[in-house]
Amino acid sequence: MQLPPTNRRRWRSRLREPKPTELFQQRFLLLKVLIVLLFGVLIAQLVRMQIIEHDTYEARAEFNRLRRVVVLPVRGNILDRYGEDLVQNVPIFSAGVVPADVPDDQLESVVAELSRLLGVAPETIAASILEAQESDDPFTPLVVKQDLEERTAFLLRERQAELPGVQVLVESIRRYPAGALTSHVLGYVGRISPEEYTALRENGYQLNDRLGKTGVELTYESALRGVPGYDLVEIDAAGREIQTVRSVPSRPAGNLVLALDLDLQRRVTGFLQNAMGESSNAVASVMDVRTGELLAMVSLPAYNNNLLTDPVDEQAYSKLLTDPSRPLINRAIAEMYPPGSVFKLVTGTAALEEGVATASTTITSRGYITVKREYGGGEDIFYDWSALGTLDFYGGVSMSSDVYFYYLSGGYSQNGQQIFRGLGAERLASYARDYGLGALTGIDLPGESPGLVPDPTWKEEVIHEGWFLGDTYHFGIGQGYLAVTPMQLLLVTGAVANGGQVMVPHIVREIVDDAGNVIRAVQPQVTNEVAISKENLKIMRDALRQAAASGTAQSGASSLVEIGGKTGTAQFGPKLPDDSYETHAWYTGFAPFNNPEIAVVVFLERGSGGADAGPVAAQIFDYYFGRRLLADEGGPQ
Amino acid sequence: MNARTARLRDFDPILLLAALALAALGTLLIHSSSLTQFGSPTGFDFTHPVVRQAVFASAGLILALAIARVDYKVLGILSAGLYIASIAALVFVLMFGEESFGSRRWILVGGILVQPSEIAKLVTIVALAKYLSDQQEAIGNVRVLLISLAIAAVPAVLVFAEPDLGSAVIFGAIWLGMVTITGARWRHLAGMLMIALILLPFSLIALVSDYQRERIDIWLNPESDPLGSGWNILQAEISIGSGGLFGKGLTEGTQTQLDYLRTQTTDFVFSVLGEELGFIGALVLFALFIVLLWRGLRVAEVSRDLFGRLLATGLVIFILLQTFINVAVNLGLLPVTGIPLPFVSQGGSSLITLFIGIGILQSIVLRHRRATIRDFFDS
Repeated sequence: MQLPPTNRRRWRSRLREPKPTELFQQRFLLLKVLIVLLFGVLIAQLVRMQIIEHDTYEARAEFNRLRRVVVLPVRGNILDRYGEDLVQNVPIFSAGVVPADVPDDQLESVVAELSRLLGVAPETIAASILEAQESDDPFTPLVVKQDLEERTAFLLRERQAELPGVQVLVESIRRYPAGALTSHVLGYVGRISPEEYTALRENGYQLNDRLGKTGVELTYESALRGVPGYDLVEIDAAGREIQTVRSVPSRPAGNLVLALDLDLQRRVTGFLQNAMGESSNAVASVMDVRTGELLAMVSLPAYNNNLLTDPVDEQAYSKLLTDPSRPLINRAIAEMYPPGSVFKLVTGTAALEEGVATASTTITSRGYITVKREYGGGEDIFYDWSALGTLDFYGGVSMSSDVYFYYLSGGYSQNGQQIFRGLGAERLASYARDYGLGALTGIDLPGESPGLVPDPTWKEEVIHEGWFLGDTYHFGIGQGYLAVTPMQLLLVTGAVANGGQVMVPHIVREIVDDAGNVIRAVQPQVTNEVAISKENLKIMRDALRQAAASGTAQSGASSLVEIGGKTGTAQFGPKLPDDSYETHAWYTGFAPFNNPEIAVVVFLERGSGGADAGPVAAQIFDYYFGRRLLADEGGPQ
Repeated sequence: MNARTARLRDFDPILLLAALALAALGTLLIHSSSLTQFGSPTGFDFTHPVVRQAVFASAGLILALAIARVDYKVLGILSAGLYIASIAALVFVLMFGEESFGSRRWILVGGILVQPSEIAKLVTIVALAKYLSDQQEAIGNVRVLLISLAIAAVPAVLVFAEPDLGSAVIFGAIWLGMVTITGARWRHLAGMLMIALILLPFSLIALVSDYQRERIDIWLNPESDPLGSGWNILQAEISIGSGGLFGKGLTEGTQTQLDYLRTQTTDFVFSVLGEELGFIGALVLFALFIVLLWRGLRVAEVSRDLFGRLLATGLVIFILLQTFINVAVNLGLLPVTGIPLPFVSQGGSSLITLFIGIGILQSIVLRHRRATIRDFFDS
């Protein structure tokens, strides 16, 4: 029997339909599975976060909670050799913002309020906060305005609760009471630049740090800075400090005691200014020949370093940068000039040592010598400054005879026959280098120039020309390619005076702690012992005494003390229409003659050694030794 | 016999104790996380969050016990009126509600901020249970399915407009769970799911506000704005992760106590637990929830009629979904939605609603047996 198909289907579907209780059981099971599944997902994620990656999150929580606040020691003092303060640390109030502590939703109101209180454009503040929030160090306070008035600072501090992230910073800035008088020596301190920060952040420098930019502020930066300490501070989400968790004290900075004699520096500056006349710049420096200590170092024009130290006077800064007389350059060490006749100290002692000449070697100057050209025929004429007649070594030096030194350096031949054998360029260059020329002196100031000592190889390589006898002649009298810094000439003079030691010149004498205990004394250092016998150096000193007593260097002689001295009038630039050259003025000397203590170098751009530089040297010697005489007599210093 | 008789020994103490334990744990966490701002409560100070929460929990307890005495059938009779009233409240909140964090969710009643969407969830469960139990025979009919969907959809759309995406999702999930239990056909459900999935991308573009889209963006990549809108997601993760196995100890969590977490007594209270009580603390919390949900399901299973069964199921799904979404947001698994953690988060509306739910469950379980001769003698 067959049921109708429709009926059968209905009957079957009835059969498959579960009873209500079964259906509920089935679907409740589903719900139970869902519960287990959902909690399973949550537990799995918890295991990942709280167990597997716990350390990472814990570190991030600590990073949230703890902030290292760097505590800088007060920057070290700088004193002159007699204890005179050359710098002051002045506290100023600045408005700072910790970018990470400004909540997004309050940024606008904080910026508006700051702008109103400080008078800084809101766009400027907002832009710098947003930029710093993106940087890798959003926790270092950003300085919005420096040098607040006290009233503003207090107002800001009172309202700190309403201004999350805003802080009143007490910063210490540098003041230089002597200003331009010591600027080339001291340099100045400024805000760290982005490049400096990148280079120094590993040494603990911060985004808003200050550091020495030049001068001893730069060279002795690490001693002056000290070792910063830090406080590990617990902070809440608004950046408020809750408590200090750990405190690592800073190590105090060292104070610099300079070799510089502020009183002498002031006098030397005055003497030099009076003598400058047409000169646009000038240098004078005094060194203790026994130690290399620099008692005075003046480069004119100088600049007022108070304008460059933070907070920078932008207008004054750009004016200084574009000033054609370039006052920022310390010409005592950074510029090189032809030394002129002062170089005869080197040529003369080299000739004595090499046996080219003795004290009694005589040469006659008729005012010039002629030399046959090596190629193409004809003659070149090499002039002396005057027809000085027959001179021995002492006369050659003291009268500064160029012909005498042409002979010593290049020799002389007549009609194809050598009648005098000279040193030659190589040997002269080697002695020049022995005296420290053509190399850095190692002074504790930045920006030194090494100068230039030429020789045939150098000329071939750089100028692509052969070396001629004329080059040797020029070299011998300190002209031609030779270039030196005033500091290098001071060291040459010092070496002749002290028996052959080329000293390392230094501005800083010692580093002391706040109680005055010496942390580090700068020991006298010798760069090189010149390979010239004591006897030959003595001959040169005698010749220099004669120059100051009765020769060309008389203008530098002191009425109080016997000195040895030498002038130089160095030609530079192209030949003028009247066949002459512009000249730089040099004078270098040492005193007292019998037991040399100090050496002096004076340089004036566009001038004559005897007329312009010599008198300055004389004033320096007079003042230096006169002051001592007064002191010995118990008079006022 | 059709008479319903409540039997005291059928009262489910475990269900109530689990709820009370959760509320107690919540009060403890609120205490810890409000310390910085409010300090310890001194005396009866109703502005203090700990005091408020304890008061609401006590009120909830009393309400639950009172409701347990009443036959849940009454709810069926009242369901239409309650439903209309709650819809009216949702409309009212949209127009005149108090605004906070960019959405209108609250109305001020007698100095207390009430969140009608919480009550509406409960009322919608009642309305759905009533409709579906009346129409069970016809559940295979698409029309019935669509009407039941409409009952859930109206409040869902209204809370979505607040905007409160999370609550809207909860309405949907409650409906889905309840029709499934009623016996809706799989192919109907599958078909609707397909349609929903197809519509989802369009509705996201057309309906979701910029504010919600930004929340989703920031959830996907909180590091893109660590100090702004990504802040709390990151800080919640850091809090929970740094808690580790045993936590930093109650009131010892640095993230919590130093205010790195925001809304830490409400939506992010789980992060406080994660930080201060650790993985173990979270497991205890989960265990309490699972016990509660299991007892709730038992109520559904033993209920003598379909209305009670659906009511209980709806409540279980409601608590399960709120719990899951809230914790998942804290763990960075879902975008921030503003769903409180049931019984634990600070908030009177939510707590009262949940205790009413517990009361309803107790009302069902008390009346699950058909009256016997012995019951007559007992009473």
